[in-house]
Amino acid sequence: MNRASVVLLVVLCGLLGVSLLVGAAGLGVPDWLILWQIRLPRTLLAALVGAGLGLSGAVLQGALRNPLADPGLLGIGGCAALGAVIAFYWGVAAAFAGALPGAAMLGAALGCGMLMAFSGRALSGPSLILAGVALSAMASAFIALALSLAPNPFALAEITFWLMGGLEDRTLAHLALAGPPILLGCALLLRLGRRLDALSLGEATAATLGLPVGRTLMLASVGVTLAVGAGAAVAGGIGFVGLVVPHLLRPVAGQRPGALLAPSMAGGATLLLLADLLARLAPLVLPLGSEPRLGVLTALLGAPFLVRIARQVAP
Amino acid sequence: MAAAALISCPLPAGAAGVVSLNLCTDQLLVLLAPERVQALEFLARDPTLSFVAAQARHLPWVRADAEAVLQLRPDLVLAGHYGAQTTVALLRARGVRVVQIDEPQDFAGIEAQVMQVSRLLGVEARGQALVDRMQATLRALPRRRRGRAVFWEAGGWTAGPGSLADAALRAAGWTDAGTGSRIGVEALLRDKPDLMVTETAPAFPSMATDLAWHPALRGLPRKTVAPALLTCGGPYSVQVAEMLAQ
Repeated sequence: MNRASVVLLVVLCGLLGVSLLVGAAGLGVPDWLILWQIRLPRTLLAALVGAGLGLSGAVLQGALRNPLADPGLLGIGGCAALGAVIAFYWGVAAAFAGALPGAAMLGAALGCGMLMAFSGRALSGPSLILAGVALSAMASAFIALALSLAPNPFALAEITFWLMGGLEDRTLAHLALAGPPILLGCALLLRLGRRLDALSLGEATAATLGLPVGRTLMLASVGVTLAVGAGAAVAGGIGFVGLVVPHLLRPVAGQRPGALLAPSMAGGATLLLLADLLARLAPLVLPLGSEPRLGVLTALLGAPFLVRIARQVAP
Repeated sequence: MAAAALISCPLPAGAAGVVSLNLCTDQLLVLLAPERVQALEFLARDPTLSFVAAQARHLPWVRADAEAVLQLRPDLVLAGHYGAQTTVALLRARGVRVVQIDEPQDFAGIEAQVMQVSRLLGVEARGQALVDRMQATLRALPRRRRGRAVFWEAGGWTAGPGSLADAALRAAGWTDAGTGSRIGVEALLRDKPDLMVTETAPAFPSMATDLAWHPALRGLPRKTVAPALLTCGGPYSVQVAEMLAQ
Protein backbone atom coordinates (compact mmCIF):
# COMPACT_ATOMS: atom_id res chain seq x y z
CA MET A 1 0.00 0.00 0.00
CA ASN A 2 1.63 3.24 -1.09
CA ARG A 3 0.74 6.86 -0.42
CA ALA A 4 -1.13 7.35 -3.69
CA SER A 5 -3.42 4.43 -2.84
CA VAL A 6 -4.12 5.73 0.64
CA VAL A 7 -5.01 9.22 -0.62
CA LEU A 8 -7.21 7.74 -3.34
CA LEU A 9 -8.97 5.44 -0.88
CA VAL A 10 -9.78 8.37 1.40
CA VAL A 11 -11.14 10.37 -1.57
CA LEU A 12 -13.08 7.30 -2.74
CA CYS A 13 -14.68 6.80 0.69
CA GLY A 14 -15.72 10.45 0.73
CA LEU A 15 -17.22 10.15 -2.76
CA LEU A 16 -19.09 6.97 -1.80
CA GLY A 17 -20.76 8.96 0.98
CA VAL A 18 -21.49 11.97 -1.23
CA SER A 19 -22.87 9.69 -3.94
CA LEU A 20 -25.61 8.49 -1.59
CA LEU A 21 -26.76 12.09 -1.21
CA VAL A 22 -27.18 12.88 -4.93
CA GLY A 23 -30.00 11.75 -7.18
CA ALA A 24 -33.09 12.73 -9.11
CA ALA A 25 -35.08 13.09 -5.88
CA GLY A 26 -32.74 15.95 -4.94
CA LEU A 27 -29.66 16.54 -2.80
CA GLY A 28 -29.57 15.23 0.73
CA VAL A 29 -30.51 12.09 2.62
CA PRO A 30 -33.38 10.41 0.76
CA ASP A 31 -35.92 8.05 2.24
CA TRP A 32 -34.78 4.55 3.00
CA LEU A 33 -36.25 2.94 -0.13
CA ILE A 34 -34.42 5.30 -2.51
CA LEU A 35 -31.20 5.03 -0.51
CA TRP A 36 -31.17 1.25 -0.31
CA GLN A 37 -32.75 0.20 -3.63
CA ILE A 38 -31.54 2.93 -6.00
CA ARG A 39 -28.57 4.97 -4.78
CA LEU A 40 -26.67 2.22 -2.98
CA PRO A 41 -26.55 -0.26 -5.92
CA ARG A 42 -25.69 2.55 -8.31
CA THR A 43 -22.90 3.91 -6.09
CA LEU A 44 -21.33 0.53 -5.43
CA LEU A 45 -21.61 -0.53 -9.08
CA ALA A 46 -19.91 2.68 -10.26
CA ALA A 47 -17.03 2.05 -7.84
CA LEU A 48 -16.74 -1.67 -8.66
CA VAL A 49 -17.01 -1.32 -12.45
CA GLY A 50 -14.53 1.57 -12.35
CA ALA A 51 -12.13 -0.39 -10.14
CA GLY A 52 -12.21 -3.31 -12.57
CA LEU A 53 -11.61 -1.07 -15.56
CA GLY A 54 -8.81 0.97 -13.94
CA LEU A 55 -6.97 -2.11 -12.69
CA SER A 56 -7.44 -3.95 -16.00
CA GLY A 57 -5.99 -0.98 -17.86
CA ALA A 58 -2.93 -0.91 -15.60
CA VAL A 59 -2.39 -4.67 -15.95
CA LEU A 60 -2.83 -4.62 -19.74
CA GLN A 61 -0.45 -1.69 -20.13
CA GLY A 62 2.12 -3.51 -18.00
CA ALA A 63 1.68 -7.00 -19.42
CA LEU A 64 1.64 -5.85 -23.06
CA ARG A 65 4.16 -3.03 -22.47
CA ASN A 66 1.92 -0.75 -24.47
CA PRO A 67 0.78 2.60 -23.05
CA LEU A 68 -2.34 2.56 -25.25
CA ALA A 69 -3.63 -0.75 -23.90
CA ASP A 70 -7.12 -0.35 -22.43
CA PRO A 71 -9.93 -2.91 -22.25
CA GLY A 72 -12.17 -0.53 -24.21
CA LEU A 73 -9.70 0.42 -26.95
CA LEU A 74 -8.63 -3.20 -27.36
CA GLY A 75 -12.24 -4.27 -27.93
CA ILE A 76 -12.47 -6.52 -24.86
CA GLY A 77 -15.21 -4.32 -23.39
CA GLY A 78 -17.07 -4.37 -26.70
CA CYS A 79 -16.89 -8.16 -26.94
CA ALA A 80 -18.16 -8.42 -23.35
CA ALA A 81 -21.09 -6.10 -24.18
CA LEU A 82 -21.79 -8.22 -27.27
CA GLY A 83 -21.96 -11.36 -25.12
CA ALA A 84 -24.35 -9.60 -22.73
CA VAL A 85 -26.52 -8.33 -25.60
CA ILE A 86 -26.91 -11.80 -27.08
CA ALA A 87 -27.74 -13.34 -23.70
CA PHE A 88 -30.16 -10.57 -22.74
CA TYR A 89 -32.15 -10.07 -25.94
CA TRP A 90 -32.33 -13.71 -26.92
CA GLY A 91 -33.76 -14.81 -23.62
CA VAL A 92 -30.75 -16.67 -22.18
CA ALA A 93 -30.32 -14.14 -19.35
CA ALA A 94 -33.86 -14.80 -18.12
CA ALA A 95 -33.29 -18.57 -18.12
CA PHE A 96 -30.92 -18.72 -15.15
CA ALA A 97 -29.20 -16.28 -12.79
CA GLY A 98 -25.63 -15.58 -13.77
CA ALA A 99 -26.25 -16.16 -17.48
CA LEU A 100 -25.89 -12.42 -18.21
CA PRO A 101 -22.46 -11.86 -16.60
CA GLY A 102 -21.48 -15.36 -17.73
CA ALA A 103 -22.17 -14.54 -21.36
CA ALA A 104 -20.39 -11.18 -21.04
CA MET A 105 -17.33 -12.89 -19.56
CA LEU A 106 -17.43 -15.46 -22.35
CA GLY A 107 -17.48 -12.55 -24.83
CA ALA A 108 -14.55 -10.90 -23.05
CA ALA A 109 -12.59 -14.18 -23.04
CA LEU A 110 -13.20 -14.67 -26.77
CA GLY A 111 -12.13 -11.05 -27.28
CA CYS A 112 -8.85 -11.66 -25.43
CA GLY A 113 -8.27 -14.80 -27.47
CA MET A 114 -8.97 -13.11 -30.79
CA LEU A 115 -6.76 -10.18 -29.83
CA MET A 116 -3.83 -12.53 -29.24
CA ALA A 117 -4.57 -14.36 -32.50
CA PHE A 118 -4.96 -11.16 -34.58
CA SER A 119 -1.85 -9.43 -33.35
CA GLY A 120 0.36 -12.53 -33.51
CA ARG A 121 3.64 -12.34 -31.65
CA ALA A 122 3.96 -8.56 -31.78
CA LEU A 123 1.87 -8.03 -28.63
CA SER A 124 3.57 -4.82 -27.64
CA GLY A 125 3.70 -3.05 -31.00
CA PRO A 126 1.16 -0.95 -32.85
CA SER A 127 -0.26 -4.13 -34.42
CA LEU A 128 -1.89 -4.88 -31.05
CA ILE A 129 -3.74 -1.57 -31.07
CA LEU A 130 -4.79 -2.05 -34.69
CA ALA A 131 -6.09 -5.51 -33.84
CA GLY A 132 -7.97 -3.93 -30.95
CA VAL A 133 -9.50 -1.30 -33.22
CA ALA A 134 -10.64 -4.05 -35.59
CA LEU A 135 -12.06 -6.10 -32.72
CA SER A 136 -13.89 -3.03 -31.33
CA ALA A 137 -15.43 -2.23 -34.70
CA MET A 138 -16.50 -5.82 -35.14
CA ALA A 139 -18.04 -5.97 -31.66
CA SER A 140 -19.98 -2.70 -32.22
CA ALA A 141 -21.25 -3.95 -35.58
CA PHE A 142 -22.41 -7.24 -34.08
CA ILE A 143 -24.07 -5.43 -31.16
CA ALA A 144 -26.05 -3.30 -33.61
CA LEU A 145 -26.85 -6.35 -35.74
CA ALA A 146 -27.93 -8.52 -32.79
CA LEU A 147 -30.13 -5.71 -31.47
CA SER A 148 -31.77 -5.00 -34.81
CA LEU A 149 -32.56 -8.70 -35.25
CA ALA A 150 -33.91 -9.05 -31.70
CA PRO A 151 -37.67 -9.56 -31.37
CA ASN A 152 -38.06 -6.24 -29.57
CA PRO A 153 -39.27 -2.83 -30.75
CA PHE A 154 -37.09 -0.99 -28.21
CA ALA A 155 -33.86 -2.80 -28.99
CA LEU A 156 -32.63 -0.13 -31.39
CA ALA A 157 -33.01 2.53 -28.72
CA GLU A 158 -30.99 0.36 -26.34
CA ILE A 159 -27.94 0.25 -28.60
CA THR A 160 -26.76 3.47 -26.94
CA PHE A 161 -26.74 1.77 -23.55
CA TRP A 162 -24.58 -1.10 -24.73
CA LEU A 163 -22.21 1.12 -26.70
CA MET A 164 -22.03 4.09 -24.31
CA GLY A 165 -22.77 2.50 -20.94
CA GLY A 166 -24.82 3.72 -18.02
CA LEU A 167 -25.79 2.98 -14.43
CA GLU A 168 -29.25 4.53 -14.27
CA ASP A 169 -31.83 2.53 -12.32
CA ARG A 170 -29.60 -0.47 -11.70
CA THR A 171 -30.82 -2.71 -8.88
CA LEU A 172 -29.34 -4.69 -6.00
CA ALA A 173 -29.78 -7.74 -8.24
CA HIS A 174 -27.34 -6.22 -10.75
CA LEU A 175 -24.91 -5.61 -7.90
CA ALA A 176 -25.21 -9.24 -6.77
CA LEU A 177 -24.58 -10.47 -10.33
CA ALA A 178 -21.58 -8.31 -11.17
CA GLY A 179 -19.96 -7.66 -7.79
CA PRO A 180 -18.45 -11.10 -7.02
CA PRO A 181 -16.80 -11.69 -10.43
CA ILE A 182 -15.39 -8.15 -10.49
CA LEU A 183 -13.91 -8.59 -7.01
CA LEU A 184 -12.52 -12.02 -7.92
CA GLY A 185 -10.96 -10.63 -11.10
CA CYS A 186 -9.42 -7.72 -9.19
CA ALA A 187 -8.01 -10.05 -6.52
CA LEU A 188 -6.37 -12.12 -9.26
CA LEU A 189 -4.96 -9.08 -11.07
CA LEU A 190 -3.58 -7.48 -7.89
CA ARG A 191 -1.36 -10.53 -7.34
CA LEU A 192 0.37 -10.06 -10.71
CA GLY A 193 2.45 -7.03 -9.60
CA ARG A 194 5.86 -8.69 -9.30
CA ARG A 195 5.40 -10.66 -12.52
CA LEU A 196 4.53 -7.46 -14.38
CA ASP A 197 7.62 -5.76 -12.95
CA ALA A 198 9.73 -8.61 -14.34
CA LEU A 199 7.90 -8.45 -17.69
CA SER A 200 8.74 -4.75 -17.99
CA LEU A 201 12.32 -5.81 -18.65
CA GLY A 202 11.14 -7.52 -21.84
CA GLU A 203 9.75 -10.99 -22.42
CA ALA A 204 13.13 -12.57 -23.11
CA THR A 205 14.78 -11.12 -19.98
CA ALA A 206 11.77 -12.00 -17.87
CA ALA A 207 11.91 -15.57 -19.15
CA THR A 208 15.60 -15.86 -18.20
CA LEU A 209 14.65 -14.64 -14.70
CA GLY A 210 12.41 -17.69 -14.52
CA LEU A 211 9.10 -15.93 -15.18
CA PRO A 212 6.50 -18.09 -16.94
CA VAL A 213 5.58 -15.42 -19.53
CA GLY A 214 2.74 -17.31 -21.22
CA ARG A 215 1.18 -18.20 -17.89
CA THR A 216 1.38 -14.58 -16.74
CA LEU A 217 -0.40 -13.35 -19.86
CA MET A 218 -3.01 -16.05 -19.36
CA LEU A 219 -3.63 -15.04 -15.73
CA ALA A 220 -3.88 -11.40 -16.80
CA SER A 221 -6.44 -12.37 -19.47
CA VAL A 222 -8.53 -14.31 -16.95
CA GLY A 223 -8.50 -11.43 -14.46
CA VAL A 224 -9.40 -8.86 -17.12
CA THR A 225 -12.13 -11.15 -18.43
CA LEU A 226 -13.72 -11.43 -14.99
CA ALA A 227 -13.45 -7.74 -14.08
CA VAL A 228 -14.31 -6.20 -17.46
CA GLY A 229 -16.82 -8.84 -18.54
CA ALA A 230 -18.94 -8.69 -15.40
CA GLY A 231 -18.79 -4.89 -15.45
CA ALA A 232 -19.99 -4.66 -19.04
CA ALA A 233 -22.87 -7.03 -18.29
CA VAL A 234 -24.49 -4.49 -15.97
CA ALA A 235 -23.07 -1.14 -17.10
CA GLY A 236 -22.70 -1.55 -20.87
CA GLY A 237 -19.57 -0.46 -22.69
CA ILE A 238 -17.68 2.21 -20.76
CA GLY A 239 -14.47 3.29 -22.41
CA PHE A 240 -11.27 5.10 -21.53
CA VAL A 241 -11.24 4.55 -17.74
CA GLY A 242 -8.55 1.89 -18.10
CA LEU A 243 -6.53 4.15 -20.40
CA VAL A 244 -6.72 7.38 -18.42
CA VAL A 245 -6.30 6.18 -14.84
CA PRO A 246 -2.84 4.53 -15.04
CA HIS A 247 -1.53 7.54 -17.01
CA LEU A 248 -2.85 10.00 -14.44
CA LEU A 249 -1.28 7.99 -11.63
CA ARG A 250 2.17 7.25 -13.08
CA PRO A 251 3.62 10.63 -12.00
CA VAL A 252 2.65 9.95 -8.36
CA ALA A 253 2.84 6.15 -8.12
CA GLY A 254 5.95 5.68 -10.24
CA GLN A 255 6.71 3.88 -13.49
CA ARG A 256 6.94 0.36 -12.06
CA PRO A 257 3.87 -1.57 -13.33
CA GLY A 258 3.48 -3.47 -10.07
CA ALA A 259 3.32 -0.26 -8.03
CA LEU A 260 0.56 1.04 -10.28
CA LEU A 261 -1.97 -1.75 -9.72
CA ALA A 262 -3.56 -0.87 -6.37
CA PRO A 263 -3.65 2.89 -7.10
CA SER A 264 -5.19 2.22 -10.53
CA MET A 265 -7.92 0.13 -8.95
CA ALA A 266 -8.75 2.87 -6.43
CA GLY A 267 -8.34 5.51 -9.14
CA GLY A 268 -10.69 3.74 -11.56
CA ALA A 269 -13.35 3.47 -8.87
CA THR A 270 -12.89 7.17 -8.01
CA LEU A 271 -13.00 8.32 -11.63
CA LEU A 272 -16.11 6.37 -12.60
CA LEU A 273 -17.93 7.33 -9.41
CA LEU A 274 -17.04 10.97 -10.09
CA ALA A 275 -18.28 10.69 -13.69
CA ASP A 276 -21.51 9.07 -12.50
CA LEU A 277 -21.97 11.81 -9.89
CA LEU A 278 -21.58 14.38 -12.69
CA ALA A 279 -24.16 12.50 -14.77
CA ARG A 280 -26.62 12.62 -11.86
CA LEU A 281 -25.86 16.26 -11.01
CA ALA A 282 -26.18 17.50 -14.60
CA PRO A 283 -30.01 17.36 -14.82
CA LEU A 284 -30.27 19.00 -11.37
CA VAL A 285 -28.28 22.08 -12.38
CA LEU A 286 -28.69 22.22 -16.18
CA PRO A 287 -31.90 22.28 -18.24
CA LEU A 288 -31.44 18.69 -19.41
CA GLY A 289 -34.32 16.30 -20.07
CA SER A 290 -32.38 13.31 -18.82
CA GLU A 291 -28.93 12.32 -17.60
CA PRO A 292 -25.99 12.37 -19.98
CA ARG A 293 -24.69 8.86 -20.69
CA LEU A 294 -21.88 7.71 -18.45
CA GLY A 295 -19.86 6.46 -21.43
CA VAL A 296 -20.26 9.86 -23.09
CA LEU A 297 -18.67 11.55 -20.08
CA THR A 298 -15.75 9.09 -19.87
CA ALA A 299 -15.19 9.43 -23.64
CA LEU A 300 -15.19 13.24 -23.41
CA LEU A 301 -12.52 12.94 -20.75
CA GLY A 302 -10.62 10.10 -22.39
CA ALA A 303 -10.46 11.07 -26.05
CA PRO A 304 -8.17 14.12 -25.56
CA PHE A 305 -6.02 11.91 -23.36
CA LEU A 306 -5.72 9.33 -26.08
CA VAL A 307 -4.55 12.03 -28.51
CA ARG A 308 -1.91 13.17 -26.01
CA ILE A 309 -0.62 9.67 -25.34
CA ALA A 310 -0.64 8.80 -29.04
CA ARG A 311 1.54 11.85 -29.71
CA GLN A 312 3.96 10.81 -27.00
CA VAL A 313 4.38 7.28 -28.33
CA ALA A 314 4.50 8.30 -32.01
CA PRO A 315 8.02 7.76 -33.37
CA MET B 1 -63.32 -15.96 -34.98
CA ALA B 2 -64.37 -12.33 -35.45
CA ALA B 3 -62.10 -12.14 -38.46
CA ALA B 4 -63.79 -15.10 -40.13
CA ALA B 5 -67.21 -13.50 -39.58
CA LEU B 6 -66.03 -10.19 -41.02
CA ILE B 7 -64.32 -11.76 -44.02
CA SER B 8 -67.51 -13.62 -44.93
CA CYS B 9 -69.44 -10.31 -45.09
CA PRO B 10 -70.69 -9.48 -48.59
CA LEU B 11 -68.21 -7.31 -50.48
CA PRO B 12 -69.33 -3.70 -50.92
CA ALA B 13 -69.93 -2.59 -54.49
CA GLY B 14 -66.78 -1.52 -56.31
CA ALA B 15 -64.49 -3.43 -53.97
CA ALA B 16 -60.88 -2.68 -54.65
CA GLY B 17 -57.59 -3.86 -53.22
CA VAL B 18 -55.93 -1.88 -50.44
CA VAL B 19 -52.35 -2.11 -49.22
CA SER B 20 -51.47 -0.69 -45.82
CA LEU B 21 -47.88 0.31 -45.03
CA ASN B 22 -48.29 1.37 -41.42
CA LEU B 23 -49.23 -0.45 -38.22
CA CYS B 24 -51.96 2.11 -37.48
CA THR B 25 -53.58 2.02 -40.92
CA ASP B 26 -53.28 -1.80 -40.80
CA GLN B 27 -55.50 -1.91 -37.75
CA LEU B 28 -58.12 0.52 -39.11
CA LEU B 29 -58.23 -1.39 -42.39
CA VAL B 30 -58.66 -4.78 -40.70
CA LEU B 31 -61.40 -3.42 -38.41
CA LEU B 32 -63.26 -1.65 -41.22
CA ALA B 33 -62.78 -3.73 -44.35
CA PRO B 34 -60.70 -6.93 -43.93
CA GLU B 35 -62.02 -8.23 -47.26
CA ARG B 36 -60.24 -5.36 -49.00
CA VAL B 37 -56.78 -6.19 -47.65
CA GLN B 38 -54.23 -6.94 -50.33
CA ALA B 39 -51.36 -6.66 -47.88
CA LEU B 40 -50.54 -5.32 -44.43
CA GLU B 41 -47.28 -4.28 -42.84
CA PHE B 42 -45.76 -7.27 -40.97
CA LEU B 43 -45.94 -5.56 -37.54
CA ALA B 44 -49.72 -5.96 -37.73
CA ARG B 45 -49.14 -9.62 -36.79
CA ASP B 46 -47.28 -8.77 -33.58
CA PRO B 47 -49.67 -9.24 -30.63
CA THR B 48 -47.67 -6.87 -28.42
CA LEU B 49 -48.15 -4.01 -30.88
CA SER B 50 -51.31 -4.80 -32.80
CA PHE B 51 -54.88 -5.15 -31.58
CA VAL B 52 -55.78 -7.13 -34.71
CA ALA B 53 -52.78 -9.49 -34.62
CA ALA B 54 -54.98 -12.63 -34.63
CA GLN B 55 -56.83 -11.56 -37.80
CA ALA B 56 -53.69 -10.18 -39.43
CA ARG B 57 -52.02 -13.56 -39.18
CA HIS B 58 -54.44 -14.86 -41.81
CA LEU B 59 -53.91 -11.90 -44.16
CA PRO B 60 -51.00 -11.35 -46.55
CA TRP B 61 -48.25 -8.93 -45.66
CA VAL B 62 -45.71 -6.88 -47.59
CA ARG B 63 -42.59 -4.96 -46.68
CA ALA B 64 -42.89 -1.16 -47.04
CA ASP B 65 -40.90 -1.33 -50.25
CA ALA B 66 -42.06 0.41 -53.45
CA GLU B 67 -41.08 -2.47 -55.72
CA ALA B 68 -42.98 -5.06 -53.68
CA VAL B 69 -46.06 -2.83 -53.37
CA LEU B 70 -46.16 -1.95 -57.10
CA GLN B 71 -46.25 -5.65 -57.95
CA LEU B 72 -49.54 -5.96 -56.06
CA ARG B 73 -51.12 -3.20 -58.25
CA PRO B 74 -53.20 -1.82 -55.36
CA ASP B 75 -56.08 0.59 -55.96
CA LEU B 76 -55.30 2.38 -52.75
CA VAL B 77 -52.31 2.53 -50.42
CA LEU B 78 -52.78 3.64 -46.81
CA ALA B 79 -49.76 5.06 -45.01
CA GLY B 80 -48.85 7.25 -42.06
CA HIS B 81 -47.02 10.55 -41.98
CA TYR B 82 -43.90 8.97 -40.48
CA GLY B 83 -41.78 6.18 -41.88
CA ALA B 84 -41.85 4.75 -45.40
CA GLN B 85 -41.89 8.30 -46.80
CA THR B 86 -39.54 7.48 -49.66
CA THR B 87 -41.74 4.50 -50.53
CA VAL B 88 -44.81 6.75 -50.55
CA ALA B 89 -43.08 9.26 -52.84
CA LEU B 90 -42.08 6.51 -55.28
CA LEU B 91 -45.57 5.02 -55.33
CA ARG B 92 -47.13 8.44 -55.99
CA ALA B 93 -44.65 9.03 -58.80
CA ARG B 94 -45.89 5.82 -60.40
CA GLY B 95 -49.50 7.01 -60.21
CA VAL B 96 -50.61 4.92 -57.21
CA ARG B 97 -53.24 6.57 -55.01
CA VAL B 98 -51.73 6.98 -51.53
CA VAL B 99 -53.66 8.36 -48.57
CA GLN B 100 -51.67 9.32 -45.51
CA ILE B 101 -53.44 9.52 -42.17
CA ASP B 102 -52.53 11.20 -38.88
CA GLU B 103 -52.00 9.61 -35.50
CA PRO B 104 -54.93 10.89 -33.43
CA GLN B 105 -54.05 11.75 -29.83
CA ASP B 106 -57.56 11.90 -28.33
CA PHE B 107 -60.87 10.08 -28.63
CA ALA B 108 -62.55 12.76 -30.79
CA GLY B 109 -59.62 12.49 -33.18
CA ILE B 110 -59.98 8.71 -33.34
CA GLU B 111 -63.71 9.01 -34.06
CA ALA B 112 -63.08 11.52 -36.86
CA GLN B 113 -60.40 9.28 -38.35
CA VAL B 114 -62.55 6.14 -38.24
CA MET B 115 -65.26 8.04 -40.16
CA GLN B 116 -62.74 9.46 -42.65
CA VAL B 117 -61.25 6.06 -43.47
CA SER B 118 -64.63 4.30 -43.53
CA ARG B 119 -65.88 6.84 -46.09
CA LEU B 120 -62.73 6.31 -48.11
CA LEU B 121 -63.32 2.55 -48.14
CA GLY B 122 -67.07 2.88 -48.76
CA VAL B 123 -67.99 1.18 -45.47
CA GLU B 124 -69.46 4.15 -43.61
CA ALA B 125 -72.01 2.05 -41.71
CA ARG B 126 -69.26 -0.09 -40.18
CA GLY B 127 -67.35 3.04 -39.22
CA GLN B 128 -70.44 4.56 -37.62
CA ALA B 129 -71.04 1.35 -35.64
CA LEU B 130 -67.47 1.45 -34.27
CA VAL B 131 -67.82 5.13 -33.34
CA ASP B 132 -71.19 4.53 -31.66
CA ARG B 133 -69.70 1.75 -29.55
CA MET B 134 -66.74 3.98 -28.57
CA GLN B 135 -69.06 6.78 -27.52
CA ALA B 136 -71.24 4.42 -25.51
CA THR B 137 -68.16 3.14 -23.63
CA LEU B 138 -66.99 6.68 -22.90
CA ARG B 139 -70.47 7.78 -21.76
CA ALA B 140 -70.68 4.82 -19.40
CA LEU B 141 -67.48 5.82 -17.54
CA PRO B 142 -68.24 6.81 -13.93
CA ARG B 143 -67.86 10.57 -13.45
CA ARG B 144 -65.67 10.99 -10.41
CA ARG B 145 -62.38 12.62 -9.55
CA ARG B 146 -59.51 10.33 -8.71
CA GLY B 147 -55.96 11.16 -7.66
CA ARG B 148 -52.77 11.90 -9.58
CA ALA B 149 -51.62 9.22 -11.98
CA VAL B 150 -48.45 8.82 -14.00
CA PHE B 151 -48.50 6.88 -17.24
CA TRP B 152 -44.98 5.44 -17.30
CA GLU B 153 -44.17 3.96 -20.68
CA ALA B 154 -41.28 1.77 -21.79
CA GLY B 155 -37.90 3.38 -21.21
CA GLY B 156 -39.25 5.66 -18.48
CA TRP B 157 -41.12 8.10 -20.71
CA THR B 158 -44.15 9.67 -19.09
CA ALA B 159 -47.21 10.31 -21.19
CA GLY B 160 -47.86 14.01 -20.99
CA PRO B 161 -50.51 16.50 -22.10
CA GLY B 162 -51.63 16.00 -25.69
CA SER B 163 -51.05 12.24 -25.74
CA LEU B 164 -53.61 9.49 -26.11
CA ALA B 165 -52.62 8.03 -22.72
CA ASP B 166 -53.28 11.47 -21.19
CA ALA B 167 -56.74 11.48 -22.82
CA ALA B 168 -57.44 8.02 -21.38
CA LEU B 169 -56.33 9.07 -17.88
CA ARG B 170 -58.50 12.19 -17.96
CA ALA B 171 -61.52 10.35 -19.35
CA ALA B 172 -61.24 7.98 -16.38
CA GLY B 173 -61.13 10.89 -13.91
CA TRP B 174 -57.41 10.88 -13.09
CA THR B 175 -55.19 13.94 -13.04
CA ASP B 176 -52.26 13.24 -15.35
CA ALA B 177 -49.10 13.97 -13.35
CA GLY B 178 -46.84 13.14 -16.32
CA THR B 179 -45.13 15.81 -18.37
CA GLY B 180 -44.11 13.87 -21.46
CA SER B 181 -40.46 13.83 -20.45
CA ARG B 182 -38.33 10.87 -19.41
CA ILE B 183 -37.99 10.19 -15.69
CA GLY B 184 -36.12 7.51 -13.79
CA VAL B 185 -37.22 5.31 -10.92
CA GLU B 186 -35.99 7.79 -8.31
CA ALA B 187 -37.86 10.74 -9.84
CA LEU B 188 -41.03 8.66 -10.01
CA LEU B 189 -40.70 7.75 -6.33
CA ARG B 190 -40.17 11.43 -5.49
CA ASP B 191 -43.39 12.33 -7.35
CA LYS B 192 -45.34 9.64 -5.41
CA PRO B 193 -48.36 9.40 -7.73
CA ASP B 194 -51.57 7.76 -6.46
CA LEU B 195 -51.39 5.42 -9.44
CA MET B 196 -48.66 4.28 -11.78
CA VAL B 197 -49.78 2.91 -15.15
CA THR B 198 -47.24 0.76 -16.99
CA GLU B 199 -47.34 -1.48 -20.00
CA THR B 200 -47.91 -5.19 -19.45
CA ALA B 201 -44.59 -7.05 -19.44
CA PRO B 202 -43.98 -8.18 -23.02
CA ALA B 203 -42.92 -11.66 -24.10
CA PHE B 204 -39.51 -10.42 -25.25
CA PRO B 205 -36.76 -9.16 -22.92
CA SER B 206 -35.98 -5.46 -23.06
CA MET B 207 -34.30 -3.01 -20.71
CA ALA B 208 -36.96 -0.43 -21.60
CA THR B 209 -39.76 -2.60 -20.22
CA ASP B 210 -37.72 -4.17 -17.38
CA LEU B 211 -37.48 -0.69 -15.91
CA ALA B 212 -41.17 -0.77 -14.96
CA TRP B 213 -40.47 -3.76 -12.70
CA HIS B 214 -37.66 -2.15 -10.69
CA PRO B 215 -37.95 -3.55 -7.12
CA ALA B 216 -38.09 -0.05 -5.58
CA LEU B 217 -41.48 0.49 -7.27
CA ARG B 218 -43.18 -2.45 -5.55
CA GLY B 219 -45.01 -0.21 -3.11
CA LEU B 220 -46.69 2.02 -5.73
CA PRO B 221 -50.27 1.20 -6.73
CA ARG B 222 -50.13 0.04 -10.33
CA LYS B 223 -52.34 -0.79 -13.26
CA THR B 224 -51.01 -2.30 -16.48
CA VAL B 225 -52.16 -1.66 -20.02
CA ALA B 226 -51.57 -3.79 -23.10
CA PRO B 227 -49.34 -1.57 -25.28
CA ALA B 228 -51.29 -2.61 -28.40
CA LEU B 229 -54.23 -0.51 -27.14
CA LEU B 230 -52.23 2.72 -27.26
CA THR B 231 -49.46 2.20 -29.85
CA CYS B 232 -51.97 3.36 -32.45
CA GLY B 233 -55.11 5.26 -31.50
CA GLY B 234 -58.16 3.24 -32.59
CA PRO B 235 -61.69 2.37 -31.53
CA TYR B 236 -60.20 -0.17 -29.11
CA SER B 237 -58.27 2.56 -27.23
CA VAL B 238 -61.35 3.39 -25.12
CA GLN B 239 -60.72 0.08 -23.31
CA VAL B 240 -57.80 1.81 -21.59
CA ALA B 241 -60.07 4.52 -20.14
CA GLU B 242 -62.55 1.84 -19.13
CA MET B 243 -59.86 -0.14 -17.30
CA LEU B 244 -58.43 2.97 -15.60
CA ALA B 245 -61.89 3.90 -14.32
CA GLN B 246 -62.37 0.56 -12.54
